[in-house]
Amino acid sequence: MTPLDVFLQQIVNGLTIGMIYALIALGYTIVYGIAQLINFAHGEIFMVGAYFGLLAYTLIQLLPVGSVGFLFILPLIFLFVMTLTALLGVIVERFAYRPLREAPRLAPLITAIGVSFLLQNAVMILFGPADKRFPSLIEIHKLSFHHVTITNLQIMITGFSLILMLVLHTFIKYTRMGKAMRALADDREAACLMGINVNQIISIAFLIGSALAGAGGIMFGMYYNTINFHDGYLAGLKAFSAAVLGGIGNIPGAMVGGVLLGILEGMGAGYISSEWKNVFAFFILILILLFRPHGLLGSRVVKKV
Amino acid sequence: MKKYARQPTNEGAFVKRIHFVLIGSVLALSFTGCTQNTSQSNVIKIGCSAPLTGDQAQIGIDTCRGAQLAVDQANQKGEVLPGKTLELLELDDQHNPAQAVNVAKKYVSDPDVIAVVGHFNSSCTKPASAIYNEGGMVQITPASTNPELSKQGFKTFFRAAATDDVQGPAAAKYVASKLGVKRLFIIDDKTTYGKGLADEFEKEARKQSIEILGHEGITQGDKDFTPLLTKIKPMDPELIYFGGIYPEGSLLIRQARGLNITSKFMGGDGLATPIFIELASKEIAEGTYASMVGGDMRKIPSAAQFIKDYEAKYGSMGQWSAYGFDSANVVIEAIRKAGQNNREAVLKAMREIPVFKGVTGEIIFDEKGDNKNQFIGVFKVENGELTYVGPAA
Repeated sequence: MTPLDVFLQQIVNGLTIGMIYALIALGYTIVYGIAQLINFAHGEIFMVGAYFGLLAYTLIQLLPVGSVGFLFILPLIFLFVMTLTALLGVIVERFAYRPLREAPRLAPLITAIGVSFLLQNAVMILFGPADKRFPSLIEIHKLSFHHVTITNLQIMITGFSLILMLVLHTFIKYTRMGKAMRALADDREAACLMGINVNQIISIAFLIGSALAGAGGIMFGMYYNTINFHDGYLAGLKAFSAAVLGGIGNIPGAMVGGVLLGILEGMGAGYISSEWKNVFAFFILILILLFRPHGLLGSRVVKKV
Repeated sequence: MKKYARQPTNEGAFVKRIHFVLIGSVLALSFTGCTQNTSQSNVIKIGCSAPLTGDQAQIGIDTCRGAQLAVDQANQKGEVLPGKTLELLELDDQHNPAQAVNVAKKYVSDPDVIAVVGHFNSSCTKPASAIYNEGGMVQITPASTNPELSKQGFKTFFRAAATDDVQGPAAAKYVASKLGVKRLFIIDDKTTYGKGLADEFEKEARKQSIEILGHEGITQGDKDFTPLLTKIKPMDPELIYFGGIYPEGSLLIRQARGLNITSKFMGGDGLATPIFIELASKEIAEGTYASMVGGDMRKIPSAAQFIKDYEAKYGSMGQWSAYGFDSANVVIEAIRKAGQNNREAVLKAMREIPVFKGVTGEIIFDEKGDNKNQFIGVFKVENGELTYVGPAA
């Protein structure tokens, strides 16, 4: 294995986890862009998504579909989980954030932490505190180029994440609903005056963000094969860093930020020291906040008077 | 638009309330300070603390179930002290040192608690042992293996398990002589236990003139170790040694095999548990070595009955269940000898037990509270089961 192989392998590893960070980061960014709210329970929705995935898998095991093959079942699992997490996101918004829409900014931040604890503990009680084994769902094949190993799962994660991002991009850019979302992000009051239903659009932002987090949750489970009720915490924080890195509120920014964070973190751990792996992610967050607070792709917001 | 009006502040009332709370807590504290050493109630409580929730819950639950079995059996056999029944009081330390200190304070302030079996993780046992020492309460850890724990000069500290300065070197000798390994890489989880064990392993490995390609730490609770493993891959070590516990251990071996790393994999007692195999999957865990305090229990005659009783009650046994059982039994023996439920008397009796014949072998305490019987066995995953392969050194 030459140094170049090692470098490429680190890129492959970083890219895979970076894609998952990006999916979660999108949720932070969409919600922030529209509601100016950091949804700190978002990491927990991602974690719940992984558990829903496990639940779906267990339920399917009970059905006599063994011969159909997972190529058909996998989309079903994704659909099931993304629907449930989307619903969960909307419920959380309805009960924890909407009543506080006009309250000082700190209040929804605190309810977010409350929701986060609620979800963590609910999962702990329902599924037990121990690590749960998560099946790979597809048969893993390793492809080797020189000495660089890529699995079909890594390709699937990258590919599917890209597809989801593309769909999201098209939705935001070309549909009426997407236009309404952009309008709301630009100027809430003006959008309101144009007859846009603010509550509905915010609900949709939560719906989309949570569905993406759910998909991220399943892929996280498939990739690492163990899930735990507090997995959402660290993954959520890193995705938040990724969103800030790309420019919070900026959708392409979250995608770039996630991938970049995954790769930078892997490089730091691989070339400097693995003991400091988590430190790199948050160090990047601090650097960005200090020197480019609007993120890599975010535009400087002119303070409205 | 609703506006949130500022609450009119009434500072005087607020300060008064704070005073009231302060006085209340001081009073409460002084009451607990005045409680008598000998409890008058008719239950004798023995504490058992380990991670009972969280990612390491399984290993903690296994340990406390062993202790529970010991207590149940003692109660069935008849009263340990006239008119009193034993009770196990389990508290969760979440393998969090701060939580362990809270647990220890709870035990010490409950006059019915006479002794504690716990904690599981060395990082928890360390701060908690100071609290037990202040409270004059016997603490016997079934599983904390860090050697520093018994060097703090606490008279209340006892342990059933062998220490890492025995386990680590023994494992290194095994690797050198039985496996013939010449080059290896060491990973630890930076905890008191994991780093302690890995450091002791490294020292002896160097003495055995094994080439150490590197020694790096990972973070407990992290999931992705591929950056480190990718760095290790071109070094092509014959063996990767991991000082840590099964959640990270199972991820490490999965990810190593995923990157086509074929090195042997070895760990300490933190991997010697069936749940490691379950999480890593049988095919991937196959061939993993783990050193473990004690040998093959199934070959110790006194253990056969214990295994039967345990499995009848709880199903399959964890590697630490027997240590929980033995630790609780030593404490029960000390209470019986002391003849009273008084912490001081039990502590004195504990020191006077010459040899305790447990299901894990003999337990003989030295003056530091460590077990003089420090046998280390090596286990290997064969056909998806942890199989005893022989003594480590």
